[in-house]
Amino acid sequence: MPSNRLVEKEKVATYASVLFYSVFESGGRDAVLRVRDEIEQVVRIIRGNATLIEALCSLAYSPEQRNTMARETFTECVSEFRDMLALMAERREMDLLAQVEPVFVDVLQEKLHVTVVDVVTVVALDNHLRDIIIKKAASELGTEIVLRERIDKSILGGILMSANGKRIDASVFTQIENARTLLKKSSDGGES
Amino acid sequence: MNKGAKKGMVKALAVVSSAFAVICALPSLAFAEEKSGVAVILPDMNEFIPMLIAFIIVLIILAKFGWPVFDGIVKKRDSQIKQQLEESEAARIESERLLAEYRQQLADAKKESYQIVAEAKQAGEALKADITAKAQAEADNMIAKAKLAIETEKKAAVAELQESVVDLSCDVAARLVSSDLSDKEHRAIIERYVNEAGSFNAK
Repeated sequence: MPSNRLVEKEKVATYASVLFYSVFESGGRDAVLRVRDEIEQVVRIIRGNATLIEALCSLAYSPEQRNTMARETFTECVSEFRDMLALMAERREMDLLAQVEPVFVDVLQEKLHVTVVDVVTVVALDNHLRDIIIKKAASELGTEIVLRERIDKSILGGILMSANGKRIDASVFTQIENARTLLKKSSDGGES
Repeated sequence: MNKGAKKGMVKALAVVSSAFAVICALPSLAFAEEKSGVAVILPDMNEFIPMLIAFIIVLIILAKFGWPVFDGIVKKRDSQIKQQLEESEAARIESERLLAEYRQQLADAKKESYQIVAEAKQAGEALKADITAKAQAEADNMIAKAKLAIETEKKAAVAELQESVVDLSCDVAARLVSSDLSDKEHRAIIERYVNEAGSFNAK
């Protein structure tokens, strides 16, 4: 008899693969990549909103009500993804979404032979920078690279890249923080 | 003095009185005629013989009746004196013994008092030393704690100051980077960082 953990793992794998195939069928690679971003955003929203996750998993509402609630909450999402969210809410399995995300990315990379590299910068990338980044990532990861660009002023400068759960932090913010930590550490052992 | 002795004394006095009366009854013989020359210093037989007789009589009477009484009195007195001397000697010995005993007790008491004083002095000294040592230790401890607290405060203040300086420097650097750099400069930094950055395959 399979344990709860195995059952859960199977459910997560099923959600991820069904979502991938349905989205790929309807919108192709771009839709899949968009869904990937949407999953990430929805997970972030759910993690930061305890009331929402409670409501989406509450027994006080009927499955139909939870389904409707999820659909109306995530109206901006790709329809296949929205359907899956509604189903998860109906079944009170919204907490599995965080586990679906990495599995979906794995399926995406495996099926499309593509690695999505998230890039965060202070200014928008130009083509020259894109080429450099893609070249570097492709040489290291050995797959086709798709960049997901995001501008975030809080990193002050430099670049933040992440792919396959690995992260290269070459931001000015981190460098300043490292310098701050180093200076504070060195000042601790200074005058006696 | 007992009754017998008193009686003897009275008898002897009576005899002596009688003999004295006999002697006094013959004055005419004593002053019968005048003498000259050596005869002045020689005894007149007419006076001497009766005087001698009277003396002998008195002597006999006294020897017979007076002497035993005096002898008894003297012996009795002698024995009394001896007894008193013995008693006084015994008392003296006893008093000397008591004196020696008292002296010994006094010496013992003195010795004991000296010992008590010495012990008290010693205990006092020990107590004083103990209190002094404790006070010193406490003072040392307080000083050490105060020094430690001062040192800690000083270190904390210095560390805080250094941290403030570091924070300020980093904040200034961050502001300079974020506000003073142009997009072109940012892109140049990005390019440099991408080339210098670590690998996705790094472990």
